[in-house]
Amino acid sequence: MNDNAVFELPKQSYNGQIRAVTLGSEGKAVTVGGESCYPFHCFEGALPHAPRIAMEVYDTPPTDWPDAALAPFSDVLSDPLAWARKCITNYGAEMICLQLAGTDLNGADASAEQAAGIVKNVACGIDVPLIVWGTANHEKDTEVLRLVCQTCQDRKLIVGPVEEGDYKKIAAAAISYGHTIVASSSIDINLAKQLNILLSNLGVPDNQLVLDPTVSGIGYGIEYCYSVIERIRMAALTQQDEKLSCPIILNIAREAWKSKEAGPSDDIKLGEATKRGILLEAMAAWVLLMAGGDVAIMRHPNAVSLVRDMIGEMS
Amino acid sequence: MTEQTKKYKVVFMPDGIETIVAEGTNLLDAAIAAEVHINAGCGGTGACGTCSVLIKTGLVDSPKTTSISNSDYQNGLRQACKSRVMSDVVVEIPASSRLETAVLKKEIQNSHNDDLLCSGWHFSPPIEKRLLEISPPSLQDNTNDMARLLRHMDDSQTHPEIKADLHFAKKLAATARHDNWRVTATLLKFDEHTRIINIESGDMRTTNYALVFDIGTTAVRGQLLDLSQGQAIAQATEYNKQISFGADVIARITQCGRPGGLEKLQKAVVDTLNTLIEQMLASSKVARSGINHIVVTANTVMVHLLLALDPQFLRTSPYVPTLSSTPLVKAYTLGIEVEEHVRLYCVPSVASYIGGDIVSGIVGSGIHQRQPLTLYIDIGTNGEIVFGNSEWLMTAAASAGPTFEGGGIQCGMLATNGAIEDIHLENDKTEPVLKVIGGDPPLGICGSGIINLAASLLKHGLITQAGRFNMENGHHRLRIGENGAEYVLAFDAQSGNGKDIVFSEIDMLNLIRSKAALYAGYHTLVSSVDKKMTDIEQVVISGTFGNHLNIENAIAIGLLPDLPRHKFSFIGNGALLGARLIAFSNDVRNQSSIVASMMTSLELSENADFMSSYTAAMFLPHTEAALFPSVKIGNLP
Repeated sequence: MNDNAVFELPKQSYNGQIRAVTLGSEGKAVTVGGESCYPFHCFEGALPHAPRIAMEVYDTPPTDWPDAALAPFSDVLSDPLAWARKCITNYGAEMICLQLAGTDLNGADASAEQAAGIVKNVACGIDVPLIVWGTANHEKDTEVLRLVCQTCQDRKLIVGPVEEGDYKKIAAAAISYGHTIVASSSIDINLAKQLNILLSNLGVPDNQLVLDPTVSGIGYGIEYCYSVIERIRMAALTQQDEKLSCPIILNIAREAWKSKEAGPSDDIKLGEATKRGILLEAMAAWVLLMAGGDVAIMRHPNAVSLVRDMIGEMS
Repeated sequence: MTEQTKKYKVVFMPDGIETIVAEGTNLLDAAIAAEVHINAGCGGTGACGTCSVLIKTGLVDSPKTTSISNSDYQNGLRQACKSRVMSDVVVEIPASSRLETAVLKKEIQNSHNDDLLCSGWHFSPPIEKRLLEISPPSLQDNTNDMARLLRHMDDSQTHPEIKADLHFAKKLAATARHDNWRVTATLLKFDEHTRIINIESGDMRTTNYALVFDIGTTAVRGQLLDLSQGQAIAQATEYNKQISFGADVIARITQCGRPGGLEKLQKAVVDTLNTLIEQMLASSKVARSGINHIVVTANTVMVHLLLALDPQFLRTSPYVPTLSSTPLVKAYTLGIEVEEHVRLYCVPSVASYIGGDIVSGIVGSGIHQRQPLTLYIDIGTNGEIVFGNSEWLMTAAASAGPTFEGGGIQCGMLATNGAIEDIHLENDKTEPVLKVIGGDPPLGICGSGIINLAASLLKHGLITQAGRFNMENGHHRLRIGENGAEYVLAFDAQSGNGKDIVFSEIDMLNLIRSKAALYAGYHTLVSSVDKKMTDIEQVVISGTFGNHLNIENAIAIGLLPDLPRHKFSFIGNGALLGARLIAFSNDVRNQSSIVASMMTSLELSENADFMSSYTAAMFLPHTEAALFPSVKIGNLP
């Protein structure tokens, strides 16, 4: 071929960079963020830390999960530490997210002391970073997460959700014990930025902050979440918006699995019950990682495996 | 000494006031000595640049300052406080340097209207009283009374065709003969036509009054004008009695959908007008019969309701009003308690949500006559905004809500006696120093007080940038009240009504929503013509705060854009200002029709950028700190 025409890929130029945030304690600590290009646009900039997956563990046995989600963990559902270890050992989890669903006022309403005990037990029994997620009730989370921060002061946890309505007390406790904060706001770039400014006013260091822009599953408004995450990334990378330059965490598993499509159904048009939830979870996580997520909180080992492979191929 | 100190003549335009000063005299001092007002916000230290004047002829020794651009300096603009007179000079004082004095005179002292914003017009009120000395009828000249009157008018004046109202015919015979055919005729001059609308016996020329009303969604403000003197002699403010049918125009329109709703709303606003008339007549000791004309400026919905026109179609797409300019209406037919001959004129509107109030604001402030790109902001319930200059005008309504008029605020009130209009906090531990209109113990807080309070609380870290109270501060005025967190402005023992005067977190969030709507409104409007905020050359603010709006505080909370301070002018109630000029001059009235037709309205509810801009502005001062570089927010405790 004598044709000299070489295809030149049009490239986006960036002037910002996502902050690299190190999660967890030394040893098995995980660094996320740090990218200077749009998701997986490795041909335009650096992607020093590919997105990571944190696997979910619950403080109390789940009562509303489809069988497909329960099956891999049937032997460990009532032992959070064993569950976490199984995720790490059997499924290669690089991070664990402990969901404190048992503290829900409308559920078991476990006390802060009970919750802190469980967190402490899990935190001391694993070496990968531990994310601790409350119930988004401001009063209860304030009580629970503050005690968790204090009880686990020898570990570096990631604590959330921290919202505009409860950030002062939770963030103050988290920071004084060296934990990282998940700043959570409801699907709006301005609200996300406002909370980050408030946290910064409070003295939260930039490298102890990750962002939860609120996510939803496929068929439940994921396009909107995609668009908000995308806009956050555009602001950070092309407008040097410091207040939005933090890694993004996606609490997607529970959104994917609570949909009616992931649950039991006789409708054969929905496909095989054992695969539906897994595929919905994997696709939702992947879509949002494509938008700009840095950490995806996931549930099913098969979904985790699918997404992990995709990340490997793309980065 | 080689020679005596030289003396020079300084002429201040546009008033043509002359004064003789010694060589080297400071120009601002010369103006003060000649009783010519030039704004000098900083007191003549050179810091603010509000005293800029144009040197038309002659020499002054004056350095270029940072407040004056290179091109302005080349064109002869100088800071008066930095200029020394070096020859005979003619100095033009631009409108921007005269604005506040005009407002002060108009809005506060109700003084003579010799120093106006809108220029190029003459005192030519639509109502003129003329003394006629008519030859009485005789057997030789037995023309009837009405024809005699008209014939006399034709003889003595140039008006080719004068018509007469018939309603005064029944009193004509007696009135004419009471003082042997020495009568005062009241003439209405409108659109080239002249009409005799009333007749009185004797010389009644000095008894000639007009009423102007600014009918707002929240408050109605009135002034009584003496047309023989060209000045306002009384004013009064009341909440619009329609409030009991809903706080905003949408609620009012909905009310009209119910049986008898329109009639009730019409009666409510007319009752409000009658109350105001009563108050103004009492305080001025003017007789009701002296009133000859009424000018109303109002948003489109208020005009519809006043005239009992069905407003239903204003609220649904494509948002079309029944009419935008109204014919003269006999006021008594609407229920307004004035004599039968009194006509009511409504300032024309632009669109469903851009009313005559905004047109009269523009006319009054003369923005349509000037070249600089000006942003006009009406800080009221409907939050109308205008951007443009003498060539084009863009406008939108941001629906700010009643906060700035004290509405929807737990202890809010209009800027009347007893309202806290200013508040000063030295630091986050001190007691507030309150300034109350009238000087009596406080009854509540008005718009300017609310803005100053929010700015002070933010500055001293008593609220977060999201408007939440920092209870952790432990200040004894911060507490949890019936409506959640609140700040106590005045404890019961200090207040005028024996109750605590508080400002709650809910009030604060209302304020943030209101200011965000306004900011997002003008941000969207300016962007819509591909301009940036920094392109704005002048900001004219209209609003019915107390005596002043603290620009610095309004910027600190993100209500006004963070622009150089010399660009701002506060004209008080712009709508009323324009209405007053319209009552004083048919020239101005003609301009109001031109302005209404110049305006292009932007529908914000149909604008995608507006909502995003609104959320971004729901923060103190704004989510984008770069838009407010001069506002410093420290780390909070």
